[in-house]
Amino acid sequence: MSAITTRIDPITASVIGGALESIATEMGHKLTRMSYSSIIRESEDFGCVICDAQGRQLCESPQSTPLQSGPIPGYIRGINRRFAEIGEQWNPGDVVIHNHSYYGASHQPDVGFIIPIFHEGQLVGFSATTAHHLDLGALTPGSCGIVDACDAYAEGLQLNAIKIEEGGRRNAWIWQIVRDNCRAATLVVGDMEAQVAAARIGAERFLELIERYGIETVQAASEDLMDYSERMLRLEIEKLPDGVYSAEGFLDGFPGHPDPAYSNLRVAVAITVAGSSLTVDLTGTAPQLDLPVNMPLEGTVDIAIYLTLRSILLDTTRHEVVPANSGLFRPITIIAPEGTIANPSFPAPTIARFCSGNIVADTVMRALAPIMPDAVSAGVGNLRVVAYSGPAANGQHWVYMDIHEGSYGGRLGKDGLDAVDTLYANTRNNPIEDIESHYPLRVTRYELNENTGGRGQWRGGLGSVRDIELLADGGFSLEGDGVEHAPPGLFGGEQGTPGVVVLTTSDGSEQRLASKFPYRKARKGDRLSLVGPSGGGYGDPAERDPAAIEADRLDGLAHS
Amino acid sequence: MRGIGVDIGGTFTDLMLYDSGSGEVAVHKLRSTPHDPGIALVQGIRELCTKAGVEASSIDAVFHGTTVATNAVLQHRGAVAGMITTRGFRDVVHIGRHQRPLQHSVMQDIPWQARPFVQRRHRKVVTERIVPPTGEILVPLAEDEVRAAARELKAEGVTAVAVCFLFSYINPVHERRAAEIVAEEIPGAFVTASADIFPQFREFERFTTATMNAFVGPGTGTYLDRLERALASEGIPGKLHVMMSNGGVASAQQASRKPVTLLLSGPAAGVLGGVWAGAHSDRKRLITFDMGGTSADIGIVTERGVIEASARDTEVAGYPLLVPMIDIHTIGAGGGSIAYVDDGGAFRVGPRSAGASPGPACYDLGGTEPTVSDANILLGRLDASRFLGGELALNKAAATTAMTGLADRLGLGVLETAEGVITIANANMAAAIRSRTIQKGHDPRSFVLVALGGAGPLHAADVAASLDVPEVLVPAYPGITAAMGLLTSDLKYDQMRTAFMVEGALDAARLDRELGEMESELRAALAADGVAATDIEIVAGLDCRYVGQGYELRVQLPAEPFTPAALDAFHTLHEQEYGHASHDPIEIVNLRMTALGKRATIEKLPVGSGTLDEALLGHADALFRADGALRTFTTPHYDRAKLPMDEAFPGPAIIFQRDTTIVVPPGWSARADAAGNLLLNR
Repeated sequence: MSAITTRIDPITASVIGGALESIATEMGHKLTRMSYSSIIRESEDFGCVICDAQGRQLCESPQSTPLQSGPIPGYIRGINRRFAEIGEQWNPGDVVIHNHSYYGASHQPDVGFIIPIFHEGQLVGFSATTAHHLDLGALTPGSCGIVDACDAYAEGLQLNAIKIEEGGRRNAWIWQIVRDNCRAATLVVGDMEAQVAAARIGAERFLELIERYGIETVQAASEDLMDYSERMLRLEIEKLPDGVYSAEGFLDGFPGHPDPAYSNLRVAVAITVAGSSLTVDLTGTAPQLDLPVNMPLEGTVDIAIYLTLRSILLDTTRHEVVPANSGLFRPITIIAPEGTIANPSFPAPTIARFCSGNIVADTVMRALAPIMPDAVSAGVGNLRVVAYSGPAANGQHWVYMDIHEGSYGGRLGKDGLDAVDTLYANTRNNPIEDIESHYPLRVTRYELNENTGGRGQWRGGLGSVRDIELLADGGFSLEGDGVEHAPPGLFGGEQGTPGVVVLTTSDGSEQRLASKFPYRKARKGDRLSLVGPSGGGYGDPAERDPAAIEADRLDGLAHS
Repeated sequence: MRGIGVDIGGTFTDLMLYDSGSGEVAVHKLRSTPHDPGIALVQGIRELCTKAGVEASSIDAVFHGTTVATNAVLQHRGAVAGMITTRGFRDVVHIGRHQRPLQHSVMQDIPWQARPFVQRRHRKVVTERIVPPTGEILVPLAEDEVRAAARELKAEGVTAVAVCFLFSYINPVHERRAAEIVAEEIPGAFVTASADIFPQFREFERFTTATMNAFVGPGTGTYLDRLERALASEGIPGKLHVMMSNGGVASAQQASRKPVTLLLSGPAAGVLGGVWAGAHSDRKRLITFDMGGTSADIGIVTERGVIEASARDTEVAGYPLLVPMIDIHTIGAGGGSIAYVDDGGAFRVGPRSAGASPGPACYDLGGTEPTVSDANILLGRLDASRFLGGELALNKAAATTAMTGLADRLGLGVLETAEGVITIANANMAAAIRSRTIQKGHDPRSFVLVALGGAGPLHAADVAASLDVPEVLVPAYPGITAAMGLLTSDLKYDQMRTAFMVEGALDAARLDRELGEMESELRAALAADGVAATDIEIVAGLDCRYVGQGYELRVQLPAEPFTPAALDAFHTLHEQEYGHASHDPIEIVNLRMTALGKRATIEKLPVGSGTLDEALLGHADALFRADGALRTFTTPHYDRAKLPMDEAFPGPAIIFQRDTTIVVPPGWSARADAAGNLLLNR
């Protein structure tokens, strides 16, 4: 191991590292408790981060979902780029709202609130929160399942580095524009206020840290902490044999579309390991579409890759907990040709990129499988999100987002995880007792999908069946994937089981639907049944432990 | 009244006897008997009574802090449990909230999937459905299916059954009927209905709590039964009380029906001991800091009592748990915590611990890795010949060897490294306290840090300084505070009901009626334990939130008919907790009530006193950081038992007693007070 150079002593670095982490934890704790919509308070689809003056991430809240915290440095880069274009700059007392997916935002519904932190007149950092909002005025209700948006303008409000507070003064007109353009304005604006309050707490705490230790010490510790995280990742990359490792994955896309270019979308991954660096090349990935499965390179593709590599190379069950900061990005280079779904050109729509990114993550993992067989899973079952909505009082809408989980493939020595959020997503479902108490919906089934999953020495995890019925006229839209393509098996394991979408209308007729459909009206009594995919198997099924086969039989679970 | 408190730990069983008539106190300590903890308990009571010269049969009550249910969960050793649940929802306890406990791990196991309390084969579904908002029965309970399911479970060898139906927190009628049927079909089975444990919404959490109760139920029942019988044979029948996670005690009968309320039994007693000691020095805002060999437990106390955990945040061994419990935050920092440098060059302390065996290097029992205790001995804060009253001689040379290896890796001096170990351990503990104070709107500068446990008083002053806490209080027996805490607790039973109501449309008559029913039930439970009506105290509250939020804050209710003005306090609470209040309407979510059965508890410890000269044991070198530099101070050593009363003396000083060592750093002063506490001030 090469000599380690540090700027300050390791004791102070450790103390400041712990203090930074507790700042982000406090931000997240308060955001969940103050927020109004279930997508934040129950599903925890939000992120909280402190960055330094260069916009490099220093820490993130440990609850939250990784796909929200990870992109925040990109939001700050995007705002800086925008400010440069229009001759604007950060000033004390500013609060910036931002969601432009071609300026670093993860996608349009994930709105960032960024507060610059000034110390003695100098910009010393940023306190930022991001969160998924229920509705930002896209063409149909909700902020997911907008799968027919033809371009970025159809996705709703685009807020590009807007100062919602300027020099400490609240810009009431901008709040009014937001309020007037969202269907569930009370919830959306309440959540936004909670985001601002949480970001203010982060800014205050960071200043207290600077006052306690001095700016030079905090900056030196920050540099050391980023170097440390980088070093930990490089140490693991160095252990891998140099070479190029490839895999491919497929998205359903839009199977009903007359143009075949809209379905079976290829994601190609070639990973080059060279010493302690990795290059992830997505050349060969499908061309961009004028439908919103395209992924912002910055904010979705990069995060999918960073988070997956980190979860494999620095798996927390096997390694020290490494601070989640920008040092982790340094050993990794990403190549994605412009004009593909992995690096679209403006104004290609991106609002429904959630499932695409998860295929990127899954494909990256499978590319590494031959050289890290003890750290990866077989093919992962993808996710889906439904926006249920209907009319409410005063011309407003009720909107409810239901995130339906996937499953993991089998792993060395272990079956796959059943019915969980996967890879770069880690939200929580909403309790049935909460859903039915707040919306005209009834959950009629939520169980494992028995007798599915890829067989293997270690079988794939099982997806779940989730049936929800409307108790009043309304509508829904679906954004999902994994109905056409099963999660692949690994090392002789069999492929998993694709998902299924069935609509049973109030007259009793059943209809199979694609994994994505735009908003459609629905009647009282209509029931949407979602079956999550079950993961791929790992290793030869003939090698499966007979005791495990017997246990599955007793538990009524698997066909192994 | 004569009461005995018994705290059974992994290594030692501590006992304390208190006679409220004479004010006499006696303490005793013996080795625990982990295979059957009751053996040490009974033997200890016998020996303690002999020591104190009292008849065992004259004991009025025995108070017990137990880890039996906790260990069953941690080691996953419990009953073969079954579950009967709503058709269509067999896997609610398996899927959970579909969130992976670890953000960044492909190879993780999920506790409720890898180690379920009820295996899927024993989870049966039956036809029934209750719906919100009123608890209307949409589909009646198919009693024949319940009966068939119970028969299957019986045939499968199940001895404990959890009945878990959706929306039972609004209408428990199906759960209760199904529980009756199960009891008929499986005579002697331990049957739990989820709403009887805790009638709150969020099905995964409530069902998991019920299945955990079933899993630990039979074992805990057998254990408490056996203790009762053993005590009866000593002439102390029907006197056993058990400490619950909520900081109250329950009769053994009531506790064995809800063993899931006992999971923090031991740590809760420690916090109460701290509260008691603080109260006698008139200190009411406390941070209890209980540091042992492996971990440190932190609790917060205000004028309104011990802070309870929010039901959204409570978990044990990674499983969510919906029962009232004291907010005890545990972190992996103790005397045995190991210090090391990881592959990336970071200097870390804990959470891995050398434990009691092999223990720190200085114990000379085979440990070679440097620990917090090794750092303390190198800095002169522990004394090699005065540890545990001199019973365990510490080997300073072994500590030096262990620390040298670490110092070489860091490129620092040995003493600098030792100080670094203490600094990092203290920073970890201070961060944990910060998460329970500053992050929740409590200013630590208005609190007193109560140092508990064998290692707490060694670190308390430094931890307090880094949080700007102005005072440290060291109780008379920091090492056996839990046994004392058991003697200070009242009987305490909780009830809650879910009752959604929004400001502007409040039904005051319904609230008063429901609160009245809750009060009657609680009074009946205390009466069954023999508490006189005049000794019962009732505290009522409402869990409230702004409409649309998902987390509640507790508003206390005055003891008079409900008026909407009672909700005004919510805005202030919200502002205090989060630094931000709103004008949105307030929603009532839960009604809460706690009933205390007051009893004669320990009042005052006998206090000895001497002079500083009499207390002086000698002088030795100790290292402290002063004005930015690590310096050696010639430091007086004192015997705590002989310290003068109300005479302040300056640090640096080290004070010895059998169960702990107290460090008074430079810049601090110490003073023993009339209540038997030692107060450290800056």
